Amino acid sequence: MTAAISFKGLSRHFGDVRAVDSVDLEIGAGEFFVLLGPSGSGKTTCLRLIAGFERPTAGRIWIFGEDATAAPPYRRPVNTVFQDYALFPHLNVRDNVAYGLMVRGDAKAARRKSADEALALVALDGFGDRKPSELSGGQRQRVALARALVMQPKVLLLDEPLGALDLKLREQMQGELKTLQRQLGIAFVFVTHDQGEALSMGDRVAVFDKGRIQQVGSPEDVYDRPETPFVADFVGASNVLSADMVHDLVGRNAPASLRPEAIRIGFGPLAGVVHARAFLGSATRIEVDCDGQKLKVLIPKGGEVPQMGDSVTLGWSEGALHIMDSANG
Amino acid sequence: MAEARRAPLSDTLWRRPRLLLALLITPPLLWLGIVYLGALFALLAQSFFSIDEFSGLISYELTLKTYAELLRASNLDILLRTIAMASAVTVSAAVVAFPIAYYAARYARGRWKAVFYLGAMLPLWSSYLVKVYSWKLILAKEGVLNWLFETLHLAWVLEAYLAIPVIGGNSLSVSWTGTFLVFLYVWLPFMILPIQASLERVPPSMLEASGDLGARPGQTLRYVILPLALPGIIAGSIFTFSLTMGDYIVPQIVGTSARMIGQAVYQFQGTAGNIPLAAAFAVVPIVVMGVYLTLAKSAGAFDEL
Amino acid sequence: MKGVLRSSAAFCMAATVTVQPLAAEMVTELGDGEGALNIVAWPGYIERGETAADFDWVTGFEEATGCTVNVKTANTSDEMVALMNEGGFDLVTASGDASLRMVAGKRVQPINTSLIPSWNAIDDRLKEAPWHFVDGTHYGTPYMWGPNILMYNTEIFGDSAPTSWNVVFEEMNLPDGQSNQGRVQAYDGPIHIADAALYLMTHKPELGITSPYELNQEQYDAALDLLRVQRTLVSRYWHDAFIQIDDFKNEGMAASGSWPFQRNLLQGDGAPVSSVFPKEGVTGWADTTMMHVDSENPNCAYMWMEHTLSSNLMSDLSVWFGANPAVPAACTDGRGKQTAEGCTANGFDNFEQVRFWTTPVSRCESQEECVPYYRWVSDYIGVIGGR
Repeated sequence: MTAAISFKGLSRHFGDVRAVDSVDLEIGAGEFFVLLGPSGSGKTTCLRLIAGFERPTAGRIWIFGEDATAAPPYRRPVNTVFQDYALFPHLNVRDNVAYGLMVRGDAKAARRKSADEALALVALDGFGDRKPSELSGGQRQRVALARALVMQPKVLLLDEPLGALDLKLREQMQGELKTLQRQLGIAFVFVTHDQGEALSMGDRVAVFDKGRIQQVGSPEDVYDRPETPFVADFVGASNVLSADMVHDLVGRNAPASLRPEAIRIGFGPLAGVVHARAFLGSATRIEVDCDGQKLKVLIPKGGEVPQMGDSVTLGWSEGALHIMDSANG
Repeated sequence: MAEARRAPLSDTLWRRPRLLLALLITPPLLWLGIVYLGALFALLAQSFFSIDEFSGLISYELTLKTYAELLRASNLDILLRTIAMASAVTVSAAVVAFPIAYYAARYARGRWKAVFYLGAMLPLWSSYLVKVYSWKLILAKEGVLNWLFETLHLAWVLEAYLAIPVIGGNSLSVSWTGTFLVFLYVWLPFMILPIQASLERVPPSMLEASGDLGARPGQTLRYVILPLALPGIIAGSIFTFSLTMGDYIVPQIVGTSARMIGQAVYQFQGTAGNIPLAAAFAVVPIVVMGVYLTLAKSAGAFDEL
Repeated sequence: MKGVLRSSAAFCMAATVTVQPLAAEMVTELGDGEGALNIVAWPGYIERGETAADFDWVTGFEEATGCTVNVKTANTSDEMVALMNEGGFDLVTASGDASLRMVAGKRVQPINTSLIPSWNAIDDRLKEAPWHFVDGTHYGTPYMWGPNILMYNTEIFGDSAPTSWNVVFEEMNLPDGQSNQGRVQAYDGPIHIADAALYLMTHKPELGITSPYELNQEQYDAALDLLRVQRTLVSRYWHDAFIQIDDFKNEGMAASGSWPFQRNLLQGDGAPVSSVFPKEGVTGWADTTMMHVDSENPNCAYMWMEHTLSSNLMSDLSVWFGANPAVPAACTDGRGKQTAEGCTANGFDNFEQVRFWTTPVSRCESQEECVPYYRWVSDYIGVIGGR
């Protein structure tokens, strides 16, 4: 089966800045694919390269097997949900949703019907005659979604679409988007800097840093088996143990990741002093200084929490220490 | 407390923001109310008097006779001529200004942005009269433009154009085309800047969204950019339209000498002592602008303000 | 409200009130100067060497009399009348279309000619001119006069200089073989109707016009018809002297009514122009120094009037402005820059041919009823607009 999207050596440079630096990537049809990374890591530029808003400096893009490297946005079978929604303020909700159909030349009645159906799909029946300025943030987001989906794209691109919503609404939308994607069976390419969002939604996740992909894999892969210290740190704020320390512990000369929630207090190979403590609600996070290497430890509610300045010993179950062989730093 | 003793005024104003607002708004309100509206109503009142045909004295009886005077053929000519000129200047200014403003809002950055502002504002720095006189020289029969046409062996084009009735003439500087070109030049900044400001407010993602939904660039221009730039175009057109309607210098220096409203007001008021008719003439631009703004409003031009 | 409007329009009414001489108090003897003198004048009329160092007729007066001269320039006759109505001035250089208004409006006082030693030096043709001598009373001291000449391009006309105003009133081929269409100009002011009437006095005597400023309806209509023909010939009417100068340089103008002022400047620039007094005669303007009825500095005012007649003023001003002095000796006695040839060129010898500007009023002297000035204004606007 042909990949929905595929990049070969794709680069996008802005002057000296390598926003995207020779990236190879394949996104399957029907896949919920997440581009994850901190701001400036190149994930959004990647999305814009797919949409056609940016022209690559080098490399090629194929969309369903067709070379789209030089195709303008309006010739690509993909649609985008923008971070700021980019709704047209001078059009009402229905005309916003029907915009793509209108420029395509659909008859007025047909596009009205399609637009209303798309609005129903995002649970906004009856909002067609309002202006975007009369809607809440969540509602605007749904309009943006309906406007893209009414075009029946083969790939839907979402650029941090939930960033502006409050926590509760965001969680609700995460679920809805996931359901919608399964229901439609098309590929979603979803950009986010929130690793929780990436892990909960993605079929696969690509972690970006400095214009390059650090790791591509299932959420479990990138969370439990990070391939680089960056991935370990960025995804789930894992402890990254230096190669020296790992050598002392297990005799291998490579950095390793150790999840804060995998560490137990009371017995083990490492000893240190508690020098920070933060209550998180469902758990308490402490930071232990072991000869200069600071380790985060998550103690679930109900567990015994040591005081600041206490000396503690740290241990973990076998397999929790993930050696990052492939990392070169 | 120590602070309060040191700056009692600031503290009072901070505690009573309405007082501050009142202080800020009173001078402009006085200006608007007394100086502007006062003058306007005095003018309006004059236009309802009339001049006695026999003695030439102003008769202080309320009448619409003076407005009927406006409909006399020669006066109606002045009104229609002025409105036609103002419309032509406004439409052309919008057409010329739009690409310039679009470039400035979308593409110009850093130094080029500075160059743009300089270029757009520069004509406003030099004296208006100097500009009009220099245009007279450019457009003269023995002026720069004529020379250019001759050098390019295109003099016949210019001659053919000048042979067209109404817009042509003996030379560009004594034709309506000349008047039009000078108006277009002197008022262009007033069209460029508002359009540029309105385009600046359109986020780039709006245009990307349009393209993303399948709109070709021409469709994006028609369905997204133009509607969103409309408030700027309307604002600019208010400037160019009213400035052209009220001007009495340009048509006096460049053109066929046939009067426009501003000149008629000046002449009836200044040399003929026919203040009622001058006032009636002066009321016309106000009415025209009122009608124009009402039409623009009902067309939804201000919905996004 | 009505009262306010009424007073604001008062000066306009003054324009049309019939002339009624009055027996105002006249100064009978002079004392020392009061130290100041306030004059309302046309631009360029009172020069103190600031525009061009050579042209100064104020500094000497101030040194000799101790009267400091303050000048307020006015650009139209109406502005002058308005300023004089406001008050606070001693003297005004009024043109013929403003002087009688101010006499009628009691804004100016009679002049005691015996207090002006050089009075007798004034041109006899001006001493009792009707625009300041009303019912046996002098209301001012003649200042300057000038004709509206026919200026033409010598390259176009060659040896055959025009002799008639017909070159600007009727379509014809000029000596260079081309039509005059688009190559002649006319004055952009309603008073130009008088030039048309003057032309008709010669060419349509059956109309019975006796003064170009006093036209009945039929005569007036004929003048407008002539001006409508002129509209088809004129590409632009002139209004500002410097614009006309520019048009003769850059627009290929062949002929136009003009002032010696423009002709002198153009000739000074080496432009191929000259001028004639056409056989039909010419219109012209004559200005008078008049004294405000409430003048606060009467001694300085009288000293200034004497100064205008006896100093370099008349001579230098006539060079500066391309006009003629009210004192004939100023042309010849070398008190300033003017020469006999210069005066001749400015039309000094053609006084009899000049019909001086006055404001047309409905109750005119020569006939029952004349078309008043405010109609001249609106109708001339119509003619220029192609009606």
